[in-house]
Amino acid sequence: MGKTISEKILAKASGRPAVSPGEYLEVSSRLPVTMGVDMGRGPNQVEELGLSRVFNPKLINIVDGHSGVTGQPQAAEARRSIVRWARKVGIPEENIYLLGRSGIEHVFAGEKCWALPGECFLQATNGHTPTLGALGAFAVTLSYGSGGYLVTGKTWIKVPETVRFDITGNLPEGVMARDVFEYILGQIGPTGCAGQVMEFTGPTIDNMEMDARFSLCCNALFTGAWTAIINPDQKTLDYVKKRTSEPFKPLVSDPDAQYAKVYHFDISNLAPQVVPPPERYIVKPVTELEGMTINSGFIGSCANSRMEDMIIAGRILKKHRVYPGVILNITPGTPNIYKQALDEGLIRIFMDAEAVIPAPACGMCPGRNTPLAAGDVCISTGTCNYPGRMGSKDAEIYAASTATVAASCIEGRITDPRKYL
Amino acid sequence: MARKMRGKAWVFQGLLDVDVMCGSYDVIRAKGLMERETSLGKYAMIGVDPNFPNKVQKGDFIVGGESVGYGHDHDHPCKAIRGAGVAAIICESTNANFLLNCIHHGLPIIECRGINDIVKQGDQLEVDLAAGKVKNLGSGAEIEFRPFPEFILEMLDAGGLFPHLAQQLKAGKIPS
Repeated sequence: MGKTISEKILAKASGRPAVSPGEYLEVSSRLPVTMGVDMGRGPNQVEELGLSRVFNPKLINIVDGHSGVTGQPQAAEARRSIVRWARKVGIPEENIYLLGRSGIEHVFAGEKCWALPGECFLQATNGHTPTLGALGAFAVTLSYGSGGYLVTGKTWIKVPETVRFDITGNLPEGVMARDVFEYILGQIGPTGCAGQVMEFTGPTIDNMEMDARFSLCCNALFTGAWTAIINPDQKTLDYVKKRTSEPFKPLVSDPDAQYAKVYHFDISNLAPQVVPPPERYIVKPVTELEGMTINSGFIGSCANSRMEDMIIAGRILKKHRVYPGVILNITPGTPNIYKQALDEGLIRIFMDAEAVIPAPACGMCPGRNTPLAAGDVCISTGTCNYPGRMGSKDAEIYAASTATVAASCIEGRITDPRKYL
Repeated sequence: MARKMRGKAWVFQGLLDVDVMCGSYDVIRAKGLMERETSLGKYAMIGVDPNFPNKVQKGDFIVGGESVGYGHDHDHPCKAIRGAGVAAIICESTNANFLLNCIHHGLPIIECRGINDIVKQGDQLEVDLAAGKVKNLGSGAEIEFRPFPEFILEMLDAGGLFPHLAQQLKAGKIPS
């Protein structure tokens, strides 16, 4: 019987010939584990055990990208405390990515190819680790178990079932991977893939560039899924080989692999999608919400802060200005993306449009900079739309694609981006 | 923790979201309560039933539907639910991060397809973690689930991942 890519990776990570859904396995990974600076629970857990060692200091990367540049004193304290700990347990200096050489953990890890095709990739605490599944890795978070992994280099998993999504059709102009994901979420709902893996396949996915694939996988958790994955193809292999000299052996699903369910979606006529507050899984086409007044916009986060996003935002914002009274925050995901956007004249376009450009970080998505106040209405590419996520509980967040956010900020109301393209 | 447990079922229907329903993230975060387990019990399930922490008895079970613990990998509700005295969560399906976090907090969470067909609110249940069985003591109906392997049972016996690691360190099973 055939196996899915996830089952093959988990068999390898647990040293077994083959595994099946429902099995409990102890697993390890040869890849580095990454952790954020302001989520220092893993190190605290290690210290509470009375230990001043980790399983392998060279396999730990610390990325200061969640809070980033912020006025919050606790972020500075967290930075000092984790750096002190990292030095104590012998984590090499080059593995500590502080402000200036850091960005959003998932975007940064994707850029560096810390996750590799055919391997299990672990991050300390963060629900959006599935982003790295775009590289053909089985990517999950350690969450509360982080400290255990830091000590032993081992964790465990219950082998998840896989749900396959065959996506066909050419993405219409102005419709992005983000819209495809939100559409699928709207169709299958929050229990659609409970505890399972979303495996994206089909010609639409084949045609997507890597930036779009990362975006597609990023929010898998909102279908109830544990992670998302895309079988590596030539595009993946070229992307990885350009960025790392680490050897790797890609794995792919067998044609006769067993899936819990297979969905087919044709996105040829898909409209841009918007997720109004407060539920994360009730999704509407932009045409149903057009005209709703907004006074804040955000382009950024692990879902939408890559070059693809900078480019489409630039195309839409060129020769336009953000509507009076609207603050548009555009946060490139990493220093490399920032530099490339600068080289391509996009930062100039954003500044001419009077958008604000913070340093690379999660930033506004969890309300760490330009937080929302009571009464604010924000259209955002951030991952979540629930009340309080980006600041005040009494602000409203409409989640949407980069194109929709850019167009909406020009008009000061929710706007279909297709007319700007 | 006993591997065989008896208690009353508290049945919750619909989506049980990790932040709002299973535990009140805003309240817990705002008060800086994340690290103190016993103080979180009074927040268990208050998003669905504000009186739940007062009504639940030590050793009772929560019975849920699909995708229990939906959302981010936040683990405060695991602490809240365990802190309220709940002995185990039994559900049709769960968020995998929630599954790991519950077990790491010493709270068994059992995915058991069909559990809602044999259990209604207030039923007395017997749960055998090692054998992989839930029995409705009132109706006599039984249902099976994949039993936990020994390494997870040991972790649950110890009260969670970190008490278990502390035991292993003390016994010299992992280097200090």
